[in-house]
Amino acid sequence: MDTVDISAIRALVAAPRDAALDPARALEFVTHEEFGGQALFVGRVRRHNHGRDVVAVEYDLFEPLVRTTFEALAREAFADIAPELRVYVAHTHGRLEVGDIAVVVAAGSRHRDEAFRACRAVIEGVKHRAPIWKREHYVDGSSEWSEGCSLCGHKA
Amino acid sequence: MKLQVQLFGPFRDFQPQALLELDVADGANVAAAREALAAHAASHWPACTPGLLRSTAFASESALLRDGDALPADGRIAVIPPVNGG
Repeated sequence: MDTVDISAIRALVAAPRDAALDPARALEFVTHEEFGGQALFVGRVRRHNHGRDVVAVEYDLFEPLVRTTFEALAREAFADIAPELRVYVAHTHGRLEVGDIAVVVAAGSRHRDEAFRACRAVIEGVKHRAPIWKREHYVDGSSEWSEGCSLCGHKA
Repeated sequence: MKLQVQLFGPFRDFQPQALLELDVADGANVAAAREALAAHAASHWPACTPGLLRSTAFASESALLRDGDALPADGRIAVIPPVNGG
């Protein structure tokens, strides 16, 4: 294997429906002539959650630490899965309607296994480690902050 | 020292402003900020539960902070309740 550095990270926070959340843009970023595999995850707002009718979702986030966390997740993928990867991760903030894209993760690598694993590792980290909070708004006019993962005791 | 505490997620429901000022001793660590936040919650935020306070972390703009860590020199910290992005 050559020693050319073909790894790269793009970590973004974007307004709802911004072009940064376009899956085609994510795939374009992880494209490289040395890479034969690409994996893509797109997270959208769904209509029902725990039996309740959702009309909208609102994301609050701590933007500087979100970007730092996304970059750390990508670097961990380089270290744990393959040193040669391209990783794209973008998350939105503010109010989204049902069907809107909340998050896009893409990974490109030489082979499919590394792309799948890197994409999965990064989206799991986004859900469990990034300082992002979700409030669901329901059809009856009520709203609730969703249960989450505590970061107490988590490595910095 | 005065701490400028940025509130997120469910903490935003407890008061209209997203920024809270707390007093802690000079040289205090993150545990002191946690105690100051709990004291403020007990006297101002009836809807804030002990469970939420226990499961809330603190952070600077660049890293999560443990209870034994020094507070950032600029006094700016963020409360990080349990997260659920994606």
